[in-house]
Amino acid sequence: MVNLTIDDKQVTAPKDSTIYDAAKLNGIKIPILCHDKKLKPFGACRMCLVEIEQMKGRQIPACTTPATEGMIIRTNTPDIIKARKLVLELLLLNHPLDCPVCDKGGDCDLQNLTYDYELNSNRFIDSKFQHEIDYNNPLIERDMNRCVLCGKCVRICDEIVSYGALTFIDRGIETKIGCDFEKPLDCEFCGSCVSVCPVGALLARPFKHKARFWALTKHNSVCGYCGTGCNLTLGVKDDKVLTTVYDENQGFHKGQLCVRGRFGYQFINSEKRLTTPLIRKNGRLTEATWDEALEIVAGRLKGGTAVAALATPRLTNEELSLFKKMMLENVGSKNYDHSAGYAHRALTEGFASSFGSSASSASIPDIQKSDLLLVIKTDSYETHPVIGFEINMGVKNKGIKLNILSDKRGKLSKLPGANTLVHIPGTEVAVINALCKSVIDQKLADPSVASLPGHAELIKALSDFTPETIAAVSGLTVEKINKLAADYAAAEKAMILFPTGLGYAGHAADLARAVANLAILTGKLGKEGCGVLCLSEKNNSQGAVDMGFYPQDGGDNALQILDACSAGTIKTLLIAGENPVTSYPDNAKVKAALDAVEFLIVSDLFMTETAELADVVLPACSFAEKEGTYTSTDRRVQHVKPAINKIGQSRSDFEIISSLIVKLGGTPPTTPAAQFSEITANTPGYEGMTYATLGNEGAFAPVSIQPVFVVPVAAQVPAAQGKLALVTGSVLYHNGTLSQHGEGPVHVCPEAYVEISRSDAGRSSIIDNDLVTVTSENGSLQLKAKLSIRIPEGVVFIPYHFPAAPVNMVWSGSAVTMVSLSK
Amino acid sequence: MNPITPIIKGLGITFKHMFLKPVTLQYPTERPRVAARYRGLHGLKVSHDKAKCVACYLCPTVCPAKCITVEAAEDANHDKYATKYEIDMLRCIFCGYCVEACPVDALKMTGEFELANYSRKDFIYSKERLLEK
Repeated sequence: MVNLTIDDKQVTAPKDSTIYDAAKLNGIKIPILCHDKKLKPFGACRMCLVEIEQMKGRQIPACTTPATEGMIIRTNTPDIIKARKLVLELLLLNHPLDCPVCDKGGDCDLQNLTYDYELNSNRFIDSKFQHEIDYNNPLIERDMNRCVLCGKCVRICDEIVSYGALTFIDRGIETKIGCDFEKPLDCEFCGSCVSVCPVGALLARPFKHKARFWALTKHNSVCGYCGTGCNLTLGVKDDKVLTTVYDENQGFHKGQLCVRGRFGYQFINSEKRLTTPLIRKNGRLTEATWDEALEIVAGRLKGGTAVAALATPRLTNEELSLFKKMMLENVGSKNYDHSAGYAHRALTEGFASSFGSSASSASIPDIQKSDLLLVIKTDSYETHPVIGFEINMGVKNKGIKLNILSDKRGKLSKLPGANTLVHIPGTEVAVINALCKSVIDQKLADPSVASLPGHAELIKALSDFTPETIAAVSGLTVEKINKLAADYAAAEKAMILFPTGLGYAGHAADLARAVANLAILTGKLGKEGCGVLCLSEKNNSQGAVDMGFYPQDGGDNALQILDACSAGTIKTLLIAGENPVTSYPDNAKVKAALDAVEFLIVSDLFMTETAELADVVLPACSFAEKEGTYTSTDRRVQHVKPAINKIGQSRSDFEIISSLIVKLGGTPPTTPAAQFSEITANTPGYEGMTYATLGNEGAFAPVSIQPVFVVPVAAQVPAAQGKLALVTGSVLYHNGTLSQHGEGPVHVCPEAYVEISRSDAGRSSIIDNDLVTVTSENGSLQLKAKLSIRIPEGVVFIPYHFPAAPVNMVWSGSAVTMVSLSK
Repeated sequence: MNPITPIIKGLGITFKHMFLKPVTLQYPTERPRVAARYRGLHGLKVSHDKAKCVACYLCPTVCPAKCITVEAAEDANHDKYATKYEIDMLRCIFCGYCVEACPVDALKMTGEFELANYSRKDFIYSKERLLEK
């Protein structure tokens, strides 16, 4: 700590703080345009000038000057105010005074400072800039005439997003912010630059002219897409969510969001939302009343074990636990599941057997505290972009060593010093087993783990996984495997991350067990910056597991439920929010099952491909319209409150299930809060939580770990035989099938594609945007080709989110599918 | 006092008024002279064949009666304009703050005071009705 005097006030501040930080910490306001607490000091705007007595009255910028012991600082002498006014006058000389039509008006740092410093006129005369305005981008509008060259957008894109789309162009008075070669903006569209822009130079186009900033009411919420659990502020006007508002103090991510979180909110108020219950009459879905619909549904639910349910892990904990309770107590069936029955297996079977707890042992804040990261699949960035930002910052600012084990390269492999091991698809479990074997052979294992249960069995099983044999199978080299094993074992703190989800059929129980073994063997567990983090796909995937919404005690899992539908043993299927027709493996099989089942009930926000097959469709509501809790991938339980009224006649799944319980003769809890108190009483780690104690920050549900070695089974990789290995997964812009209804993500990534390596494409003379037919044993699918240098030879990648061209036409749920391409 | 005197006096005043200019305006055949600063019906000013209003939302923000509804959009030249500009005359208190707040001098208050109507919905003045003719 250092002691200093600011404006005659004795203050103390941490040793590494700047004068600006010290002042802010002690409630002294220094005006700023170019500073952001997430970014490194820059000192571009000269608004934060202060006088330091020891420097004989020289004016120096507070945001770049470290606070030192005994400094005597003045922040508002007449000279400083004069200097700041000059800075503002010079900025306003070229800045257009179009505040009435600028969407930043009311939230603009330059406008606020001009008001604070009472600048009514300008002593100087000059013409305004005449830069061309980029109106063509669907998400980010760039008006360089309004730019004050603070450089925040350039720095956030480089330091945090690590994309580097923007930079300073030209010199002197002609300086402006632009892309390379002044091309149009073509980036990740996370909108971080828009969020930090102090003026209206970068604006969110979907929100353009929708409302003025001061007319919005701001509601804190939690993002409804992936499992990261980012906090959001929804900007609401007239009961409509019009935008997301940046709040630099929000959440672990300090307001940073990805393209889905920032620009994907339009599904909430989409015109396509279902507003009334629908009942199939004479083969057509017709509008009905809630009473009518619920009466029919309740009647069909009285079928005992012939009833099954599938729920999306986007429901709240309260809804999922009540749903489970209804199935067990009121319906009398153990057949319920989520996420196709395999996307949660890494937790419910993998970690449950290795750690004795179906949750990850590491948390997101651990990433930046670690020394070495081992990321399985570069897709971790695509599935969880904000966790990707944490990795970027860790690697760039803290020198964390990044190791990636993946079947293709990706954005993470471009980070400085990233070591990417590209293996043959489907061999990840074998490679990790080989890493374990290498750790043991190099005598780097933690000696204390020999006493753990399963050690002997593991050692025996690993004898088949010598780096030499696996190097041949996986396409890696022995040296690379041994070096990665040595690096991982030698690092003081090391962490493993891997994504799971509907697109990652191979990332199930065995992968989780394999990485758990590696972490246990080297003692990288139970310490800060260590452990294994399973990146669960949906916003409440971890919650769905914690609530136990998966088959136990002999219940059928999701795929067995679908088989039983086809076989006729399950007669009623209740689907809440899932869209199996698009997102589950094997389209034909899913459709046949849903056609075969006697009665299909779907509750969803939209008329999905699955809802179209239903006998009764119930309109549900989104996260912005209901109360409940979500549990993020690292077990942070967060409370969401309604930001808007429910759309049309839609009801939350909590209300739907409650009314069904009443009709089935039970007594449901009155409010989500009552259900949450039941959850906290019965769920390990949730003890003592209430909505009040969760607050805006949420709370971590602690995970207790009992490490055990479990032998993972490495799947056999099908032989290539001249075919290409198809891997599925997520793209950066989408999450599940919900983001198909968010305008922002659809603007950037409107349709499915097949990503091919250049050499494979060259062999079949395929060029970009060619229509290519992908054929597998299951069927065929026509997709646009996208040539890419990140895909290794012999591999093709197809994302799974798109109902118009669902990858499950050719993919039947195996980790790797052999396909052929033709033009 | 003589009881007749007050009656004579009163009739005297009445008689005097027969020769004075009448105070009553024979509305609607006679029209009042409206002062220039009178705050009557609003008018949206027009310049270069389009409304000057840029839909900045300052008038609905300042309006104490919350009677102004504006919706903005982007025109073909990427300029901001009001797709909807409505004033609910039943709520309006004719304070003139909207005119004062307008940064582009697009709004005025006219001398139009005959705002009576037969149905409530006719008191909601749309942009077309408010545009100066």
